[in-house]
Amino acid sequence: MEQFVNTFFNCVSLSSIILLTSLGLAITFGLMKVINMAHGEFLMIGAYMTYVVQNIFERFFPTAIFSLYYFFALIAAFVVTFFLGAVLERTIISRLYGREIDSLLATWGISLILQQAARSIFGMQGVNVRAPSFLNGGITIGGCTFSYNRMFILGLVIVCLIAVWYIMYRSTFGKQMRAVMQNRAMAQCMGINSKKVDMITFSFGSGLAGLAGCSVALLGSIDSTIGQSYIVNSFISVVLGGVGKLTGTVLGSSIIGFGSIGFENYTSASIAKAAVLLIVIIVLQFRPQGLFSVKSRKLDE
Amino acid sequence: MRIKNKGYHICFAIIVVLLILAPLLLSAGVITSSSFILFLGKCIAFSIVAIGLDLIWGYTGILSLGHGLYFALGGYAMAMFLKLQTTNGRIVSFMQTGGMTELPAVWRPFLHMGPAMVLVILGPAVLSGVIGFFIFRNRIKGVYFSIISQALTWAAYSLFTGLQSYTGGNVGITEITSLLGSIKGDANRGKMFLLFYISVAILVLIYILSSFLTQTKFGKLLIAIRDGENRTYFSGYCVSRYKNFVYVLSAVFAAIAGAIFVNFNGSITPAQMTISYSITMVIWVAVGGRGTLVGAVLGAFLINLCDYNFSSGTMVEIWQYILGAIFVVTILFFKGGLVGIVRDQLPVWMKKVTRKEAE
Repeated sequence: MEQFVNTFFNCVSLSSIILLTSLGLAITFGLMKVINMAHGEFLMIGAYMTYVVQNIFERFFPTAIFSLYYFFALIAAFVVTFFLGAVLERTIISRLYGREIDSLLATWGISLILQQAARSIFGMQGVNVRAPSFLNGGITIGGCTFSYNRMFILGLVIVCLIAVWYIMYRSTFGKQMRAVMQNRAMAQCMGINSKKVDMITFSFGSGLAGLAGCSVALLGSIDSTIGQSYIVNSFISVVLGGVGKLTGTVLGSSIIGFGSIGFENYTSASIAKAAVLLIVIIVLQFRPQGLFSVKSRKLDE
Repeated sequence: MRIKNKGYHICFAIIVVLLILAPLLLSAGVITSSSFILFLGKCIAFSIVAIGLDLIWGYTGILSLGHGLYFALGGYAMAMFLKLQTTNGRIVSFMQTGGMTELPAVWRPFLHMGPAMVLVILGPAVLSGVIGFFIFRNRIKGVYFSIISQALTWAAYSLFTGLQSYTGGNVGITEITSLLGSIKGDANRGKMFLLFYISVAILVLIYILSSFLTQTKFGKLLIAIRDGENRTYFSGYCVSRYKNFVYVLSAVFAAIAGAIFVNFNGSITPAQMTISYSITMVIWVAVGGRGTLVGAVLGAFLINLCDYNFSSGTMVEIWQYILGAIFVVTILFFKGGLVGIVRDQLPVWMKKVTRKEAE
C-alpha cells in the first residue's frame, strides 16, 4: 500500500511537470498551429531567470526574506519569456503563418542562438538554484513521503491550468482568441484585431514555458540543454491528447507520466522513456487526431 | 526546364571534380593536413543524406526530423562489423563490463562481411518501411509526421543509450578502422585515397539515380503530392504507397551515408541519432536549396565546411550565432536556399541594376 501510494505520487508529480511544460505548447501549437522549437529554450530562460533572481536576492537583500525570491522569480520568468515571445512572434512567426514546417525550422535556428547565448552568459557548466526553505523536506504520512517542492509544482500546475482554462473559455480575450484561430477572416470582420490576438496568444504560451522553467529549476541543475530534454515529451503529449483540447493535453501528459514511472519499475529510466514513446506512437496510429479530437468532415484537419 | 537541369548537373560536376582533385592537392602539398580529406569524406556522407532528405522533403513535402536515426543505424551496423574485425570476433569490452560472456545474438550477423553489408541497408529499410506503412496509411502528415518522427528518434536514442552492454551506451562504438584497414598516418595514405574515391563514386551514383527518379513520372508524382496531396489522391494514385517508397529510399540513402561516415570518422555515437543532428541535416537542404538535388549537396558541403573552420578557436561562440541566424534568414527570406538565390533572386536583381544603368 505504502509503495503504491509512493509510486502514485511519483506518477502524478511527473505528469504535472510534463503538463506544465506542455500547457504553453497546447496554446502555441494546439491553437495557433505554430511549431515552436524554441519552446524548450523559453523553458530554459525561465529556469535561468530563477537562478538570476536568486543571486540578486542573495547579494542585495537580507537573508530573512531570501526564501521569498522564488515568487519574484516566478513573476520575472513569466514576464521575460512573455516579452521574448512577443518579440519572436512579431519578427519571425508572424511572417510564417500557414507555413508550419518552415516555422519549425526557423524557430530551430532561434533555439540554437538562445542555447549559445545561455552558454556564453552562464557557462557550459550547469548551475543549481537553492530551493526556498519552505520547500525543503516533506511530510510523511504513514510511511509515504510527499516532498514539498513536488507538491508545490503540483499546486502551481493546478493554478496554471485553471488560469489557462479561465482565459481560454471564460474571458473576452479567450473568446477572441478562439474566434481568430477558428476563422480568421470572419473574426477580422467582427472587428477583432487578429494581429494583436496572435501576438498575445503566442506570448502567453511562451510565458507559460517560462513558468514551467521556473519550476523545473527546483528539480535539478540547469544547463543550456535543459529545454531539449522536456520538449519531445511535451510535443507528444499535446499530439496524443488531441490538438487544441485542454483536457486532451491533461490526459496526454498523464498517460506519459504514469507510463514512464510504470515502466521504470521494471526497467531502466531510458528504456522506459523509449517504451512509452513507442506505445504512444502506436496509439496515434489508431487515433491520428489524438484521443480528444474534434469530429469534422473536413478533408485536412 | 531542361536548361535549368543542365545547370544543376554542371554545378554537381564541378563539386565532384573538386572532390577528385582534393587528394591530389594533398599529395602536391597544397592541402597540408590529411585530416581534411577525412573531413571531406564525412561531407560526402552528409551530402548523401541530404540528397535523401531532399527527395522526401524538397520533392515530396514530408519533413522528417528523424533521419539521424537511419543514419546512425547504418553507421552502427557498419561499426559493429568493423569492431568485430578489430577484435577478431571476440566480444567487445563494453559487453564484458555489461556482464556478458559471449557475443549477443544481435551482433552475430556482423561477424562476416556479406551479411553485415546487407544489414546496413536492410535494417533501416525494413524499419522505415514498417513505420512508413502505418504512418502514411493512416494519413498522418505535415507537422504531425514531423513530431512523430522526432519522437521515434528520441525513443531510439534513449534505447541506444540505455542498452549499454549491447551498444556501448553514450560512448558508442569507438576505436574502429575503416573497411580497408587503418587509414590514419602517411603509410596508409593510399588506402585513404581509395576509400575516398569509392565514396565519391557512391555519391555520384546516388545523385544520378535520384536525378533520374525526379525526371520520371514518379518524380513528377512526388511533386504533385507536395503541391496537392488530395488532388493526387482523387486522381487515382495511392499516395501513401509513393510516400512510403520515397521514405524508405531516403532512409536507405541515410543508412549508406552513415556507413560511409563511420569509415572516415572511426567511431559512432548516439549523438548522431539525436534530434538536433537530424534537424541539422534538414537545415543543410534548406540552406542549399530544397527541391534541387545539387542544392542539398551544396548545402551539406558549405555548412560543414564552415563548421569545420569555425568550430574551433575564437570563432566557436560567434559561429553558433551565425549558424542560427543563417537558418532563420534562409527560411524567412530565401525559401529556395542558395540555389534559389542564384536562380530566382539574382536575375531579378541584375535586371534592376541594368535598368537603372540604362536610365
